[in-house]
Amino acid sequence: MAASGKYPAHIPGRWLMNIIEMKNIRKDYPLGETVVHALRGVDLSVKEGEFISIVGPSGSGKTTLLNIIGCIDTPTEGSVRIADEDITALDDKKLTNIRLFKVGFIFQTFNLIPVLNLLENVEFPLLLMKDKGWSKDDIRMRAERCIDDVGLKDFMNHRPAELSGGQRQRVAIARALVTNPQIVLADEPTANLDSETGATILKLMKRLNETENVTFVFSTHDPDVLQYASGVIKIRDGNIIEKAGTASRRSKDWAKGKGAKGRR
Amino acid sequence: MGLVTKIAWRNIQRHRGKSFVIGIILFMGALIMTIGNGVISGMDKGLRENIMNRFTGQVVIISKNQIEDNVIFTPMGKDVEVISGYDTIKKVLQGRDYIARFMPAAKGLTLILNESGDVGYALVLGVKFGDYQKMFLNNVRLVEGSFLTNDDRGVLVSTGNRSRIYDEQGFWLVPRGAGVNEKKLPPEARAHRAELDVRDSIVLMGGSMENTSRDLMVEVKGIVEYEYLDEFWKNFNIMDIESFREAFQYVTASDALVEIPVEKKKLLETDNLDNLFGDTLVEKSVTTDRKYDITGLIGKKVVQKRLDVDAGSYNLVFVKLKDPDRIGKALDDLNVRLKKAGAEARAVSWKEAVGQIGDIAMIMRAVTIGFVMLIFFVAIIIIMNTLSMAALERVSEIGMMRAVGAQKSFIARMFFAETAMISFVFGGVGILAGMAVVYLLNLLGITTDNHVLVLLFGGNVFRPLLDFGDILIGVTELCIVTAIAALYPLRVARGITPLDAIMRD
Repeated sequence: MAASGKYPAHIPGRWLMNIIEMKNIRKDYPLGETVVHALRGVDLSVKEGEFISIVGPSGSGKTTLLNIIGCIDTPTEGSVRIADEDITALDDKKLTNIRLFKVGFIFQTFNLIPVLNLLENVEFPLLLMKDKGWSKDDIRMRAERCIDDVGLKDFMNHRPAELSGGQRQRVAIARALVTNPQIVLADEPTANLDSETGATILKLMKRLNETENVTFVFSTHDPDVLQYASGVIKIRDGNIIEKAGTASRRSKDWAKGKGAKGRR
Repeated sequence: MGLVTKIAWRNIQRHRGKSFVIGIILFMGALIMTIGNGVISGMDKGLRENIMNRFTGQVVIISKNQIEDNVIFTPMGKDVEVISGYDTIKKVLQGRDYIARFMPAAKGLTLILNESGDVGYALVLGVKFGDYQKMFLNNVRLVEGSFLTNDDRGVLVSTGNRSRIYDEQGFWLVPRGAGVNEKKLPPEARAHRAELDVRDSIVLMGGSMENTSRDLMVEVKGIVEYEYLDEFWKNFNIMDIESFREAFQYVTASDALVEIPVEKKKLLETDNLDNLFGDTLVEKSVTTDRKYDITGLIGKKVVQKRLDVDAGSYNLVFVKLKDPDRIGKALDDLNVRLKKAGAEARAVSWKEAVGQIGDIAMIMRAVTIGFVMLIFFVAIIIIMNTLSMAALERVSEIGMMRAVGAQKSFIARMFFAETAMISFVFGGVGILAGMAVVYLLNLLGITTDNHVLVLLFGGNVFRPLLDFGDILIGVTELCIVTAIAALYPLRVARGITPLDAIMRD
């Protein structure tokens, strides 16, 4: 994970390529006559298969960092490589394609398409992948398998409004994974869930990380989440202040609340 | 159902209220547009058929020397060139099997004189009246007096002209031998009935092409009106062709009877005064033994024998075709034949002959389209606003779609599909409802005598009409409205980024 690349991936004995490489990333937002410096020269590299948590207080730059990794936003300065492709100067169409083919998203508010049922929501990104030449049956089969993976087989024909928060988040996970992305980004995926459901979601994400070798990068306020992470990035005021594996003493301390000053 | 269509259709159902508002606007626009097109098409057809069947035929033969094709309503009453050699034209027309009927006529503008020096004017049509009525389906209705027979001399004054002459020159025309029909008097004349100047003849002054004029007193035989489109034709009086020729110094039938020897013709045609008084010519003139009917040269009233009216001059020939839709081919053929026969005439379509009148339907159509466009303009603004609001309300949904890989074009297609579906359903129903209304109005066969309505109806019966072309125009207009109305909302929707969705959350 760290810039040094020393952080071990979850597959023992194997050194993996950097799937995310960010160098000197700055992001400024003009706000009237002032400029908000959301990121102030961030360097970051993440290896494939890692399960990385970004932690930090509100306004620290977590979401901005995730947005840039996910090609939702572009940096003001610096370079970003995603799956060995420099995305810094790509146009909107190409960035959209990277989001479609390489990145999966899980949002805080479970953003699903309200007029589509669970199955159709999961099928949605696959239907956008016309280049793949998948048949309708292929698409259905893939979507059903992912829904089965997240334990919602019995709810396939339900619309989002008919599902609980946890179920919707699981649908979002299924949709994020259905395209076989190299990276899944999750912005506070458990923030709106009760702790039990949140734990279920995290276990699910972790299981998929381990079985599918998908790289997960997620932001959180929740220290309990850190026990699942293979690495933690602490961010404050637009700067990475600490990069650590959960095995490190400091991270464990942080996970236990010592470093988070009681913040959940 | 494709993904875009599926999402669009379900969004319409989800936002029923908005969809319904947009739909109702489109429905009303399509309904009004369809009925409007039906009325205009009916008017167009009515005008065309009424003008062709009752006033001009489909083809009008005019002089080859006539510069402007518009010969019926000529600007400032400009003279129409005289057709010479009608016999040749007649032979050409008689030989064409696609011609149902034809009739020569003469049209001109005369001044109307009175003792006080006030000068009025009237358009005059010189015809053989019996033939005219047969040709134009008895379109002239008698109001007072009697019609002209083919041999009568006199004028049939239209009610429109009688009123105008009264307004401008202060006398009231009645047919000879008939008294004043009190019911027909305008209120002002009735109020001053004792002083009313009643006359049964008028003095017309026609001009010749050589800028000479002749006054002619003509007896009023009858007061008439036109059954169809009187509002257009009310300025035309009808008079016998021989009187017309005299007034306008055309060659009359009696002129044509005169046989002038070659020497005299030379004398008459020459411009050389020396020749006129040349010894040789005088000598020959004196020594000749032949006698001439000199009365034929100085006055026609003494000619007692029945005249061949067609021997005189005309300036128009109205032609009716067996197939009214064959105008183009008939014109081509006639112009070739007339040229080949050496006739100094050419054929033009009725529309060219009547000038602006033929374009009235087109003008009315443009006005209606303008009105419909105004409705649609308002509709576009409302739809645009509603859709833009809908786009902004769905920032999270659209932004999320974009985040998971939907291109801008997908969002645009989705939005356009929604608008197009609403437009197709409600606009389509609007067009169908409009067609039903037009059909019902046709069944009702509403009649009118009101001049304005007669113009709008294209005749005395309201017969709105919708053909395939009108419906196609309607569909096209609807498509344009949909496209324009969706343009800005599409731009708004396309502009929504995943970041917008995240920031909103």
